[in-house]
Amino acid sequence: MTDILFSAFVVSVVLLGIHSFFGLEIIKRGIIFTDLAIGQMAAMGTAISILFLEGEYLDPLSLGFALVGGAVIAFASRRTETHEAFIGLLYAFGLAGVFIILSKSYHGMETFQKLMASDILFTPMSEIVKTAIIYAVLGGVLLLFYNKARGIVKEVLFFTTFAVTVTNSVRVAGVLIVFALLVAPALIALKIRKGIPLINAWIIGTAVNLLAIVVSYNFDFPTGYTLVFLHAFLALTVSISVPMRRLETLSEPHVSRSGGRGRVTSGSESGDSLRGAQTTHLPQTGGKE
Amino acid sequence: MNKIIWIVLVLAAMLAQSGSAMRRPLHVVAAYPYIGDLVEKIGKRNVRVWALARGDYNPHVIIPRPSYIAHVRRADLLVINGAQLEIGWMPPLLRQANNPAVQPGERGFLDLSRHIMLIDVPTTVSREQGDIHPDGNPHFYLDPHHIPILAKAIADKLAEIDPADASYYQANYDEFAAQWEAKLKEWDNTMKALEKVRIVEYHKNYDYFLRRYNLALAGTVEPLPGIPPTSKHIEHLETLLKADPARFLLQDVYNPSDASEHLAGKLGMKLVLLPHDIGAVREARDVFSLFDEMVRRLAQ
Repeated sequence: MTDILFSAFVVSVVLLGIHSFFGLEIIKRGIIFTDLAIGQMAAMGTAISILFLEGEYLDPLSLGFALVGGAVIAFASRRTETHEAFIGLLYAFGLAGVFIILSKSYHGMETFQKLMASDILFTPMSEIVKTAIIYAVLGGVLLLFYNKARGIVKEVLFFTTFAVTVTNSVRVAGVLIVFALLVAPALIALKIRKGIPLINAWIIGTAVNLLAIVVSYNFDFPTGYTLVFLHAFLALTVSISVPMRRLETLSEPHVSRSGGRGRVTSGSESGDSLRGAQTTHLPQTGGKE
Repeated sequence: MNKIIWIVLVLAAMLAQSGSAMRRPLHVVAAYPYIGDLVEKIGKRNVRVWALARGDYNPHVIIPRPSYIAHVRRADLLVINGAQLEIGWMPPLLRQANNPAVQPGERGFLDLSRHIMLIDVPTTVSREQGDIHPDGNPHFYLDPHHIPILAKAIADKLAEIDPADASYYQANYDEFAAQWEAKLKEWDNTMKALEKVRIVEYHKNYDYFLRRYNLALAGTVEPLPGIPPTSKHIEHLETLLKADPARFLLQDVYNPSDASEHLAGKLGMKLVLLPHDIGAVREARDVFSLFDEMVRRLAQ
């Protein structure tokens, strides 16, 4: 039995590594919904592949759509002050698009559900190894170039790596887990006044992942939902009880363009985003024949 | 003194008896509650059964829990409905459980759909048909006349895995089949009154039941299987039913009922919530009460 839980734990930790980085960034930038919007754009690519190409070119299409989504958000966040509204609409656009496309597809909804119904309990080891390699490469690229890059290059680098990560993670673990791992550890890490936020997010995230796996096993709860629940619960509790660390101290000057306004993500906002995540999850749970 | 001898004798007899029965029961994992119930009725004390999916949920969806993998891993026998009803969740579960004994094609694997002639098998695979299962309509167990066939398949499989008790399974099957035969007469009788009655269903869930009892399917609320109702289709259905009304609209417990309520209210059909498996409604506690309840809800 331990091997099953071990692989679920490994997935959660592999995802946590790179997601904590992106989580800290999207909280600082105030673009929390980005992962949901990009994930939904990737889903739209999947749906188009199912309808028009019988599932051929599925990966490149979903990645392509995710990249377009990322590029559009990058562009919009330079253009408008209301980028969260923009990102929210992009998410709604992707979600509605998927349903419209699949309503015309033979076997479409079923195939789609099969593709989207990922659960960390069911992730095979080969998939975990592949993901670990991809994220190690992306992490290396970010480590080498992200802090040196400036202006539009930095934006392109950020949104490209983010789109690749989200597309792959959603496929491996499902959208809700991706969202929780992205935002919850990062949010708590931003509250801690000591140490490096990224390292703190890793330590906290790993501890919560381990706890979630143990709880899920002992009480036989659905593993994915237990993980999301505990991450969210802890982050919400910490958000309410601890005052916010000043974001400027974390951001480099040019990032604080958006982050430095003191645009603080409160607990209730995470709650809203979670509900958004739940909606994307719906095609899997409210499935049809 | 006599008393003590008696007690010792009785204890010895009990021990000797339990010696044969004390072997480990067969671990059987069933995909759906109705399968679990059938296995319990045939295997009785020789089996320990776990049903994975819940009867009140969409049969295509399970939310996996760690115990599911543990059960499949420990299983001596896995019984599935088949005809692709489990396609969305069984393959990854089987892969993660990594139990060679219950993989498709192995001795510890039973696909019930192989024992029934399926209806609605598409002759051509075309995009225009909605989420049709390429193997045919998988809801075959909702024809009560199919149940003894499925029970027999289970009895044969248990005998194959556990030949020492083959006669036990056969005897349990015979007993079950006799009880079922009596119930079938009752249900067939009641349903005779509804012959040729026109019926609309939300999803093609009850087709085998309708065919058995010669009920006429006037249409489905879904335009195509698995595709939610569109306004155009509802409009079309309304015109159709105005010209040639139907008496019942059959709704399952897991699909949204708003479109059905609208149609039933507007056209004066009786909306009947029919269980599709054990546990879908409170009254359906085993295979007998499942069909009792289906018949009762239609006939009342």
